[in-house]
Amino acid sequence: MKAPFSPYLSEIAPGLKQLVTLLRRRYDYVSVLSTDSRGFAVSISQKAKSVRNETMTTERGTVVRVCRDGLYSEASFNLFDPGHPEETCRRLINRLEQQMKVLQAAGVQPYETGILPDEPRQVFAEMETGRLPETEDMAALIAHLSALSDRAMAEGQHLLDCTARAQSTHICKLFLTENQDLRQSYVYSEGTLAAVGALDGRTEMAYEGVSGRQGPELFDTMGDQLLKETLKSLDELLHAESVEPGEYDVITAPDVTGLIAHEAFGHGVEMDMFVKHRALGADYIGRRVGSDRVTMHEGAACAESVTAYAFDDEGIPAGDVVEIDRGILKTGICDALSALRLGIAPTGNGKRENFAHKVYTRMTNTLFDSGTDTLEAMIASIDRGYLLKGMHSGMEDPKHWGIQCIVEKGYEIRDGKLTGKVVAPVVLTGYVPDLLGSVSMVSGDREVFGNGGCGKGHKEWVKVADGGPYLKAKARLG
Amino acid sequence: MLHQIIDVLKSSPAAAWEVTETITEGWEFYFIHHALDQNRVKNLEQYTVKVYHRSEDGQFLGSAAGEIPPTAEEAEIRRLVDQLLLAASLVKNPAYTLRGPEGPAARPAAAASIDLGEVSGAFLSALKQVPETADADLNSVEVFVSALRKHFVNSEGVDVVSEYPSSMVEAVVNARKGGHEIELYRMYTSGACGADQLRQDLAQVLSFGLARLDAVPTPALEKADVVFSTDAAREIYLWYADRMNAAYRYMKYSDWETGRPVAEAAEGADRVTLTAVPFLPNSSRNFAFDAEGAPIRETVMIRDNVAEAFLGARQYSAYLSLPASFQPSNLKVAGGAAEAAALRTGDFLEPVEFSDFQVNPLTGDIAGEIRLAFWHHGDEVTPVTGGSVTGNMKEFARTLCFSREVRQYDWLEIPAVTRLRGVTIAGAE
Repeated sequence: MKAPFSPYLSEIAPGLKQLVTLLRRRYDYVSVLSTDSRGFAVSISQKAKSVRNETMTTERGTVVRVCRDGLYSEASFNLFDPGHPEETCRRLINRLEQQMKVLQAAGVQPYETGILPDEPRQVFAEMETGRLPETEDMAALIAHLSALSDRAMAEGQHLLDCTARAQSTHICKLFLTENQDLRQSYVYSEGTLAAVGALDGRTEMAYEGVSGRQGPELFDTMGDQLLKETLKSLDELLHAESVEPGEYDVITAPDVTGLIAHEAFGHGVEMDMFVKHRALGADYIGRRVGSDRVTMHEGAACAESVTAYAFDDEGIPAGDVVEIDRGILKTGICDALSALRLGIAPTGNGKRENFAHKVYTRMTNTLFDSGTDTLEAMIASIDRGYLLKGMHSGMEDPKHWGIQCIVEKGYEIRDGKLTGKVVAPVVLTGYVPDLLGSVSMVSGDREVFGNGGCGKGHKEWVKVADGGPYLKAKARLG
Repeated sequence: MLHQIIDVLKSSPAAAWEVTETITEGWEFYFIHHALDQNRVKNLEQYTVKVYHRSEDGQFLGSAAGEIPPTAEEAEIRRLVDQLLLAASLVKNPAYTLRGPEGPAARPAAAASIDLGEVSGAFLSALKQVPETADADLNSVEVFVSALRKHFVNSEGVDVVSEYPSSMVEAVVNARKGGHEIELYRMYTSGACGADQLRQDLAQVLSFGLARLDAVPTPALEKADVVFSTDAAREIYLWYADRMNAAYRYMKYSDWETGRPVAEAAEGADRVTLTAVPFLPNSSRNFAFDAEGAPIRETVMIRDNVAEAFLGARQYSAYLSLPASFQPSNLKVAGGAAEAAALRTGDFLEPVEFSDFQVNPLTGDIAGEIRLAFWHHGDEVTPVTGGSVTGNMKEFARTLCFSREVRQYDWLEIPAVTRLRGVTIAGAE
């Protein structure tokens, strides 16, 4: 079925178009993004159960972007009377004028920018979904999640609790300018199983997840395999040892590969950072940043993940950018305003946390391409190292190309074989070109992961996905 | 809108209900160097509703929560409330009682009205006074200033309002030398503008930037004492606060018990005293009531390393029979026995910039990549970069030492200097 576009947005669209027309009398450029995204989040454990009709991307509100004399300004609000757009117009102008008085008193000068193009365009995208969050059978879903939690408690060892989570969001966005009318509707969902256990004064948590641009039918896939993997992972963590700090040959599992993609050349080539001269990547376009085996794509059109939209929050169509081609950095990703400042084309990566937040260049799907090696051959090629699996968090340094990845665990490899010994947690650090330059084997498969969110600095949380194949590289572990 | 929602809730079959109205007026400024990249205003009305369903036998109290758009008309409000009630009837949590009205809460000493223009002007002025040079300056700054009004009402008679300012500054600092440039990142939160503190801290970050240009790879120290004197130290003390959370205790994620030591302090180690307080100067969390309308009272959570009071949300507090509990807003950790200078003796590593220093509240694992640290070895002090610090707070808590002097980071006041012993250091050499 098609995910239906929001009746609320359809109803207020004529009033918003009038608002654009009214504001255009004063401003050189006007755009409106209005959102109406609904969903639910269910969390079931032995100790606590909760249901909310909101997720990190549910929202209803509007943001207006205007440009005058080279300065871009925005107003976000969630009260709008489509019958009286002139009232909203007057209020917005007054609020922005009040702000300008404070800026003028402080002697602030604008970073002058040209006017965004506004070519005529219409889009109406209602994407396929199996089911809708707003009509999901909550009783059946809660029973399914409860059964998973119960089974984990019955089958696992040393468990304190097991939480089964399911969240699904029906995204609806309307983007308007004087010449554009873009509307999109799609559903994405995420499910996780998180088991917490304690042994000999040590407490650990293991989790596994599923995600995709699908409706709540995704949760039907949360079954035996997810349960077994979660319990196995918890048991490994409870018995894990510390890693001896040092440099090792490592194999990164697809989730860790994705984390590296995200931190290494995800944030590092967000081109709003190029405008601020905050990214070393700007100086490396056309130069080698990885081995011949490293090819990396970025874009909402790359995979049907949680962030596979039709257009971004500035109305730019979803893209598929080859960032690194056989080790050579080709280009970055860019929002529309930064692209205008850099004199390049935007790539469909302008995203907001929600209507109340500014647009930044943000990642969508950040993926390493597959190779031809087998995991077995990769393991066999290592004398002393680790197979790294499970991602906790990461942090990048685009100016210096440092990278930090906190990985859930490492499986020891000695003399070409897994020994059964597990180390945890593992902090992977290094210099990005060294890390990517050391990639010597790449497996033929690939996975995409979309659970969780990504911040810019320590804020502005958005949905992203990342992934890739198994990679063999050299890395510093601690 | 609030009254309309309350009328719908009162006429519904909900066993109980809560509604929170949040009115936000915000101004934002984004700078590239000192040029204005963009300015933004936001005016938001948000309504969050929670409805409860009691099972017929009284054993279970289920709840479901969600947002009701301010543009919703009565029919939509009823539909959303009905959806939540259906969901609440499927949620089987052990029954507990909701919070009723309590005595008057503390009030801030000076609850001044919030003038966004005035607060914004103060930030703009403070940022102009940061001592930038040709070698170290501000790359970009984002300023967020908000005035918030929260009105919480529940079916048990609680009806409270909190009004407070909340601000945030994100600053990126560059330092350069001989064609090489690096950056350092800071995010500050506060109530209104703390101009002096902001200027002082950014001046220090500029000096750190210059030091990083001279940094050499962190040596493979294996184990070393680590001194924390910047905002990363917050994570160490939040580990204590997290483990004193009622939900953590109820879930058994925390094995600490009231009246028992949280760590056996070794000889010479300091003992932690952690207190929840209603107000701290210019905190962004200076509200008199928590999110469930409970008055926030000064409460010692840990005294001299002994767990004294778990605090948290009503549901888990009720399960643990903690009637005076609330969700803490501001926290204070009392200073230790020694002066800061005394903790900076012998060999130690002092990281002042991490990529992202973390303490896992569940496992106690600490981890952070070092962007800049000072390695104090004999009489020498060497700026170093790269590598990481790792270890576990359960071990470090036994030998933890911290300074008599304290320092406030927004809603958290902690010792100015903290020393962890025997931390694992992965070098970058």
